[in-house]
This record gives sequence, structure tokens and C-alpha cells, in this order.
Amino acid sequence: MAAANPSVFLLMVNGQVESAQFPEYDDLYCKYCFVYGQDWAPTAGLEEGISQITSKSQDVRQLLVWNFPIDVTFKSTNPYGWPQIVLSVYGLDMFGNDVVRGYGAVHVPFSPGRHKRTIPMFVPESTSKLQKFTSWFMGRRPEYTDPKVVAQGEGREVTRVRSQGFVTLLFNVVTKDMRKLGYDTGPADTQGILGPSLPQGIPR
Amino acid sequence: MAEVHVIGQIMGATGFSESSLFCKWGIHTGVAWKLLSGVREGQTQVDTPQVGDMAYWSHPIDLHFATKGLQGWPRLHLQVWSQDSFGRCQLAGYGFCHVPSSPGTHQLDCPTWRPLGSWREQLARAFVGGGPQLLHGDTIYSGADRYRLHTAAGGTVHLELGLLLRHFDRYGVEC
Repeated sequence: MAAANPSVFLLMVNGQVESAQFPEYDDLYCKYCFVYGQDWAPTAGLEEGISQITSKSQDVRQLLVWNFPIDVTFKSTNPYGWPQIVLSVYGLDMFGNDVVRGYGAVHVPFSPGRHKRTIPMFVPESTSKLQKFTSWFMGRRPEYTDPKVVAQGEGREVTRVRSQGFVTLLFNVVTKDMRKLGYDTGPADTQGILGPSLPQGIPR
Repeated sequence: MAEVHVIGQIMGATGFSESSLFCKWGIHTGVAWKLLSGVREGQTQVDTPQVGDMAYWSHPIDLHFATKGLQGWPRLHLQVWSQDSFGRCQLAGYGFCHVPSSPGTHQLDCPTWRPLGSWREQLARAFVGGGPQLLHGDTIYSGADRYRLHTAAGGTVHLELGLLLRHFDRYGVEC
């Protein structure tokens, strides 16, 4: 790859899945994976992972902490298909079955710097009350066959979901050669932590 | 040709009186713009929030435009609908906002409005549902025939859009 005229740029993301807030559920673990377009390829690091099972803190915060590391590097020729991280949170129901508690996805930020993102988590809902009861009883809740569908826009028109929690993620982003290729990603976000205000409904 | 990438999410909506909401969205651009990759319109999932009153969609938007001019900068138009337990859909609001023009990540709050009808139609909407809708979707983002309408405010749609620009400095454009 010629340094003078690069054709490929690199995106390095590290950070962590920090914590979650699920008022109604306890003893949860999360899985993450990355979804990206055809022009992207991971070159280093892990594309997916499963965290430990965590319980709620006993204090007033009621926080579920994972502190689970993320470290991956991508290379690409085109920002279309910018990577998204897809999170799936699972827990045990009262019968001891492993059920899904939430899915969520967010694009990896593209301005270099430190970013904190709090994303809502939602589950698909059963269509009828009878199905809701049988799925609660049998321990087989409605879930997506492939969690990556959460990162796509098509095919979601007919799904009904229920949002029931939040997960906080922390990202450090470094890019290489984007400026040489002519891309302007905006100001480097040195205050990404204090960053843009969240809409109401998202707890700080 | 200069290129623009719009990468972000329609996060959700607050302030609507109904709770199971979904959003139909689309992007309208001028004639100098060409969509190279991505889908120009879509519809989100229907969300019923359990925590708080914000309906979350987290609907990804990833668009790649090439442009020859600044006129007709992309505009995102939205229609928020509510769906009840019987599956009937009712309009909750129309709104539009321009895609930001400076590179970086932006938090956008798009206010919405819905057409009011006569007092008879408003009464019927309160009891049976329904209510007037626009015949032509382009009134949402154009100002041409707006003077004929009488509308009421709906809630707010929250978006997080990131903008990536390419080769704009080659043409001397400052943004």
C-alpha cells in the first residue's frame, strides 16, 4: 500500500461494553458482534465476544456492570457500510431457561476520539396474548434467528418490539488515511464523554 | 464529484400521546444529487416502551450520495404513525429536517405536526380514530401549498446523524 496514494483506510476501535440498566431483570450476560458492508474487512482483533454473567448492584443505582473489552481494526475502501456493533443481552427466567432480554445496535463513531453511547435495548413481542403466555411458560421467547437483523433497516416494518433497558458503551476511535483519501470526518471529539445531550427517557 | 455519506440512526420519538409508534422515513434530494448506495426510504419497527415514555426505533441510516452542486441538499421527511392492539394505524405526525451540512455527528430533534380537520373530524378522531392525512407526501418537506393547512403539534423525533464529506475542499466549499 503506497503511503503517498493510499486506496484503503483503516478504522481502529477499542473500548468496552461498560454497563447496563434493566429495571425488571437480573443476572444478565451480553454478546456483541460487528455488522459491516461488503467493502469492509476486519484485519485485527475480535469481531465477537460473550461477556460474563453479572448481577445488579445492591445500591440505588441498580447497575449491571460488565466492563467487557472491545478491540477490533477494520480496513475499507468506502465508508458505506460503516461498522455497527450489535449487542444481544440474555438472562435466565424464573424456570431457569436462557431467554433474550434485549437487542440493540449502534454505528461505531467515525470522528477520532473518545465517545460514550447509551443505546436502548428491545425485544420482539408476541403477536397474541395466548402466544405470550405459552412462550413465558415454555421459556421460548420470541427472538431473532440472526441478531444481525437489528443492524439492518429493511424487513423491520412488520416487527413489533418492546424496549426495556439500556446499555452504555465506550469507544476510542482512531482512523488512518481517511484525510488523505479526501474524507472530512468533522472535529475530533475531545469531549466525547460529556458529548451531545441525550433525549429524555435515557437515564444518565 | 463531491461525495456525502449520511450514517446514523433514527433513535426514537417522545411527546406523542399514543404509545405504540413507528416511523416511515424518506430522503428527498435535488437533481444534482445521485444516490450511490443505500435505501432512500424505509419504515421502522413498532415500539411499545416499558421504561419511560420514549419509543425507541434505533433504525440505521447509511446513504452514499454523489453531488455536482449544493442546491437540493438532502432533506429527511418523516411520518410517525401509531398502531393499536388491533393492528390499525393512525397518523401521529409529519415532520422533516435537513441533513446537517457540517461533517461530524449531530443530534437532531425534529418536531412534528398533524393536520386538523373540521370539529366533526376531530371529534371522530377522538372516539373512533382516523383523521385527515396529506394526499401528497411532498407537502411535508416543501412550503408550496402549506398556507391551506391548519395543523396541531405532535411529538418530537430524535435522530443521530453523522456526516462524512469527501472532496468538498477541492471545489472550495466551506462547511
